Parts: sequence; C-alpha cells; structure tokens
Amino acid sequence: MAEKELTQRTAWDKVLANLRKRSLWMLHYCTGCGAVELPPTMTSRFDMERFGIMPMVTPRQADILLITGYLSVKTLKRVILIYEQMVAPKYVVGFGSCTINGGMYWNSYTTIKALDRYLPVEMYLAGCMPRPEAIISGFNSLIDKIGKGEANSWKDYYENYEFYKKNQDHVFGDIETHHDVPADGRYFGILEAKR
Amino acid sequence: MNAQTQAPTTSRPPAATGAPRMTEALVSAITAETGIATFRTKSPRRIEGTVQADALHSFAAALRSRVGFEHLSAISCVDWIAEGEFELVYHFWSYRDSHLVSARVRIPREPGSMATITDLWLPASFFERDIHEFYGVVFQGNTDLERYILSDWKGPPPMRKDFSSRDFAHEHFTFKDYEPTWDELIDGGYHGQKRQGEGSDE
Ligand code: SF4
Repeated sequence: MAEKELTQRTAWDKVLANLRKRSLWMLHYCTGCGAVELPPTMTSRFDMERFGIMPMVTPRQADILLITGYLSVKTLKRVILIYEQMVAPKYVVGFGSCTINGGMYWNSYTTIKALDRYLPVEMYLAGCMPRPEAIISGFNSLIDKIGKGEANSWKDYYENYEFYKKNQDHVFGDIETHHDVPADGRYFGILEAKR
Repeated sequence: MNAQTQAPTTSRPPAATGAPRMTEALVSAITAETGIATFRTKSPRRIEGTVQADALHSFAAALRSRVGFEHLSAISCVDWIAEGEFELVYHFWSYRDSHLVSARVRIPREPGSMATITDLWLPASFFERDIHEFYGVVFQGNTDLERYILSDWKGPPPMRKDFSSRDFAHEHFTFKDYEPTWDELIDGGYHGQKRQGEGSDE
C-alpha cells in the first residue's frame, strides 16, 4: 500500500470516486449570514439531495465542510478542530466572499481574510451571498472534480502542514488541536511512513 | 419563596411594586431619593442624567431600593478621545413603571477606572467584562475581568478610538495576492498606498 503510486489512478480508484461523488455528506458551519441561502438549497425547491448531498450533524461522518461566510479568529479555531476530526477524503468549501478575501469585513480586526491560509480549500463559491443556483452549480463542479479524481486539496494539509500550522499559530499564538496530523498523513499514504 | 431562602440582592425592593408612576413623578422621586438633581425627561418613558463617578454606586443602590429600578439593562461605554474621557452609561429599567433611566458617568481615559456594581447586580459582571476587554476600563472590585468575547485577542482594546481596525487587519492578516481597486472608490484606496512591505503572517 505504501509504495503505491499516488498519482496513478487504478480502476478501483475510479469506481470509488464515482461512488463517492454521489454520496456527499455535508457539515455546514453556519457562522456567516450567507447560511440563510442553505435552507432553500436543502429543501424541496432546490433540493440538493437529488445530487446526493445531505446535511450531516457530525464531522466524523461528513465529507464536505461548508464554511458559510466570515470567520472570526475565535470561530476559526473551532473550525480547525472540526476539520481535523473529519475523516479523509474531505473537502472544504469556502462559501461567500468573506472566506475568499474577507468580504465586507476586509478591515475588521477579528475576521480572517483568506480561509485557504488556514485550511486547504477545495473550492470557493463566490458571491455575497451565493444564491441557491450558484451553490448547486458549485456543488456540481465539486462532484465532477471528485469523479475525475482531481479534488485532492485535502492532501495538501498533510503535505504542507507546516504552512497551515504556521498561519494558524500566527493568529492564535499557539494552537493545540490534540490531533496528530502527520500520523494521519502517513495513514493515508501521503507522507512517507516513518517509524 | 420565603424571606429566609432569598439572597438579599434577589428580593424585590418595596418601591418596585405598586401602581405605575408618571414620568414627572419619577424624576422628582429620583431627585428626592438619590439626592442627584440632574435627571430630566429625555423622551417618553426615558429619563437621563449625569452622575459623578464616585457617586454612581450609591446612586444605583438608592435607585434600586428606594425608587424601584430593579433591573440593570446594560452598561455601555463611549470613548470621547478629544476630551480624554470615557463615558459609561448605565441603563436601569423599572418593571413597575416601564421607564428607563440612563445615568451618564465620565471617567478619565487614563487610567480608565471605575467602581464595580456587581455587588448590587451580579449580571453587571458581563457588561463590565465586555467594557474591560473592548475599552480597557478596569472595574475595581470585579474579580472576574477575564477575556469574554475576544478570547484569543492580544492587541490593544479594539473599541478605543485610537485603535485603527484597518491598520491592525493589514498588519495582522495577509490578504489575497491581488491588487483590488474597488477600495479606491471608498476612500482613496488603502492597498495602493500600503501594499509594500506588509503581510507579517507570511
Ligand atoms: S460573504 Fe456576504 S453573505 Fe457571506 S458571510 Fe460574508 S457578508 Fe455575509
């Protein structure tokens, strides 16, 4: 398993990706105002469950972590704790312009300005706030990406953990997440197994 | 509940029960019972006045026990930086009369220090903690001035007028690597002037 070529997709990987892309469970972290567009997306009008995307209540069973808007330093810490509890493969979706560049909180002293400095973001949904059509179309492209085996940004968290940790430490001082990230990376065969 | 099981601060003062009073009657009751004559009607059901910082505690105690304003709705703070003063505004509510009394207190900005009223209203601690972390005012006698909302905050009290949120954000956070021009429409553009040499979290 450890010596398997990661870049090369086996037939089994393709089957797995096709199964995976039709069954995405989403943990939506609704701190931002944009979360108000999620109920119509989930319920009968737009009905995201027809794409196999379903809300999930616990990070341990979720595939998508949807960050719906601005994150203060305080909530970012919770988000990181949640993210590290999720089981890979996992996809962080930044929802709304606040996650991209701070949005209208660009000069706020307590909201972070770019989510991808702290967590590996798979995809951004632009808009303040994105309408359900945009969310559905964004999720459709995420589904395509997963099916093609291109949604691999979660691996970046293991490969470039120092980068993320440095940025996290910069805003928190020192953050102790009680999660052995490098060990996870070794488990998934992303980091070389070291004893 | 009988009298023995009730803590003194949770029992209702006799003045807090009875028929509602008119605004004018309340203003004269405040003047007579607390000895502070600055209170005036501000708008319907709102009374406002100024109190000296060292008199606030006894004023609040008298307002509660003898006039019947038993609820502390909020304490707010204003930074009058040009005058070198903080203004603390204490809001008291009377359930009996449905009136709000706002007592304005001026304290010097340096050092911002004020006596606590948590011995009269325990929930005042929330407001005092809040003002402590956002303005740096120290409430003497409050033993719990821990961080409240800004739990990971290391900067200066951010609601002070001499704190620049924008400068702090630009020093502390790294923005996306592109040059937005939209902010020039707002106030001449921050990025254009300050872009060089910033971004300490890289
Ligand atoms: S992007 Fe807009 S809608 Fe979304 S959290 Fe920010 S301000 Fe709110």
